[in-house]
Amino acid sequence: MFEKLIDRINELQSAVYLAGHGNEWFGLDEVGEGPDASDLLAELLATYEDSAYPAEFISRYTMTECLAERNGVETYVVQDAQGNRYVAKCYDRSVWSFGEDTQNTAEFENDQSGDYRQDDQDVHRGNAGISFSLLKEIGGEGIPKYTTEYSNDAMFVTVREYIEGIPLDRYASENELSREQITDICMQLCDILAHLHHRDEPIIHRDIKPQNIIVRLAETESWAETEAETEAGTDAETETEAEADSRRQEKLHIALIDFDIARVHNSENDTDTRFIGTVAYAPPEQYGFSQTDARADIYSLGVLLRFLLTGSPRENKNISVYKPLAEIIDKCTAFSPEDRYSDIDQVKKALAKANPSAQRLRIAKIIAACLLAAVLFGFTGFQIYKAVTWTPFSEDAIPAYTSDEERVADAVSYMNDKFDTELFSGNEGGLDGMTGTDAVATIGLLKTVLIDCYGLDADYVNAPNTEMPHESEDFFLPWTWNDSQTINRSVMVYVAVKLYDPERVADWSSLKDDNGEYPGERVAAAFAEETGIMTGANRPDDITIGEMALILANTDRVFTAAGAVGE
Amino acid sequence: MTDKSAYLTTEEMWGRLFSSPSVNSFMTAGDEYTELPGLSDYITELCSAGSVKPEVVIRRANIERSYGHRLFRGSRNPSRDTVLQLAFGFGMDVKDAQQLLKVARHAALHPKVRRDAVIAFGLENGWSVIETQQCLYDNDMPLMGGASHV
Repeated sequence: MFEKLIDRINELQSAVYLAGHGNEWFGLDEVGEGPDASDLLAELLATYEDSAYPAEFISRYTMTECLAERNGVETYVVQDAQGNRYVAKCYDRSVWSFGEDTQNTAEFENDQSGDYRQDDQDVHRGNAGISFSLLKEIGGEGIPKYTTEYSNDAMFVTVREYIEGIPLDRYASENELSREQITDICMQLCDILAHLHHRDEPIIHRDIKPQNIIVRLAETESWAETEAETEAGTDAETETEAEADSRRQEKLHIALIDFDIARVHNSENDTDTRFIGTVAYAPPEQYGFSQTDARADIYSLGVLLRFLLTGSPRENKNISVYKPLAEIIDKCTAFSPEDRYSDIDQVKKALAKANPSAQRLRIAKIIAACLLAAVLFGFTGFQIYKAVTWTPFSEDAIPAYTSDEERVADAVSYMNDKFDTELFSGNEGGLDGMTGTDAVATIGLLKTVLIDCYGLDADYVNAPNTEMPHESEDFFLPWTWNDSQTINRSVMVYVAVKLYDPERVADWSSLKDDNGEYPGERVAAAFAEETGIMTGANRPDDITIGEMALILANTDRVFTAAGAVGE
Repeated sequence: MTDKSAYLTTEEMWGRLFSSPSVNSFMTAGDEYTELPGLSDYITELCSAGSVKPEVVIRRANIERSYGHRLFRGSRNPSRDTVLQLAFGFGMDVKDAQQLLKVARHAALHPKVRRDAVIAFGLENGWSVIETQQCLYDNDMPLMGGASHV
């Protein structure tokens, strides 16, 4: 058998050799009558067997790409005569069975021997429901349109719209996504899922993962554009920072694909008997604990959000996630479906609240309305404007007191209560053994607070005692400090802001900028100025334990008021 | 009913085309993007390793010149067809072309797809892009570069 094949290849290759060199080697003016490579190729192509595919499908489309071939499903990119592209899924009927009497529901046979028959439905009903009549109905924004289905004895073929674009896992690995973009992607996904979940017969996708989300390219590049760019700047070897920045602000439009295992929720069934899905993204109940419902997709969405923010679908305590989003992830991925959001709309609302750009937009709208009011009513306008520009970080979040002593006392009890601790009373952690809230705070105390109250990992808090400057990304505190050192106010403010909103100070580096300042500290200081989180903390150096409590309490209140911190 | 034994497995089909026995090694789909080099780095490296100028590769690939240079500079994601044209530009065999497709994050040539078989046949036999296009045309198949540049 194999010798035959090798002979065949040799024959093919020598034929090509002759076709290519016949003229010069044999001094001929024209290629002779010998075997032509094209003939041999034609012969080879004639051995292709198409009868397995429905005849109408084969006559209408040309396969151009095989995207996947597994579990008896072949996925192809196909083109019609007009050059339009589609995705075709070809289900091998010896592996898949179809109850075609009612809804064309496909069911994967557990037993690959093919011994199962349709009347074994007590075993298979609802295992992997694919309803093609439903798929045709559910088209909408971000969902590929199903066009046709073809069928014969050997195969069942569905054809859907080809979504031009790049899978999200690849897009995320090649582009740095901004937090706004990530939130926006997840909100778009909420809209798509709402469309599926809120039908009379809800459809659960059950395989939400970045590979199944396509970042659509708004328009494909034209040759003309390419040429113009080339002429404009041939020395633009690499992307400028401005270009990268503007890309991070772009709105990305997504589509959800692969409805292979999407199913109609059947409230009478209580377990899914077969695992379907992608391990890291699948909720526990998808392994067979109970029947999956819409909250399975909510779970996977939570994992997706974590992947986009941290680069991994699995939890990593050493990577701090913007807190409002971290809370959404936690709630989405709760082990028990009862502890998750019960509806996709709730997830969208939570995301909208956590999305800084959405908040800015909202503020901008309010400002616009107030400016209009100012024109109309003249005198009150400015004050309203001033009041609203503080949101989402409202000054009112920090209570008014007549003296700084009162502020400190209030902050100390606020922090002690919040974290169920005595650390802020100053019984220990003061410089040189001093006690009380007026004692100068030490780095040692700060580290204890970070670990005990805020739950940070000890290794993440304790930077190694290496030469300066060291990389800040791996450590919460970017400087190497001894526990007995004191803290200055700007460092404390930096720490407080980083605790609640790490991304705000994420451009921090332990290298000083051109002004001789630490960029992260400067950002934190500007934020403190804007929100008043330093209110009551009066000395720039050697802050007291009370002032530490004050800055942390102010920050906590400001973020709580902005809706960014859940209870 | 379908008689499965009448069909060739993937490996057998490749065997029918070429003598390479290690089909599996380059048929595995690569979703570990992080482990792969960038396409532009990869093709630039190939040029210096083979002492061939990008200019020549682009010309032989029959790709529009300025677009081709942008591919080498890394500012464009080429379509699968464009990557295949590049493979012709480098004079690659099927194995190297599969690797190039993988680096470019595109689906491998698949022996079940006739059009892929024609392209693979052309690559393995050292055809030029034009010769292969002619063969695709003769067999009523979409030419390379017909689709958009994604």
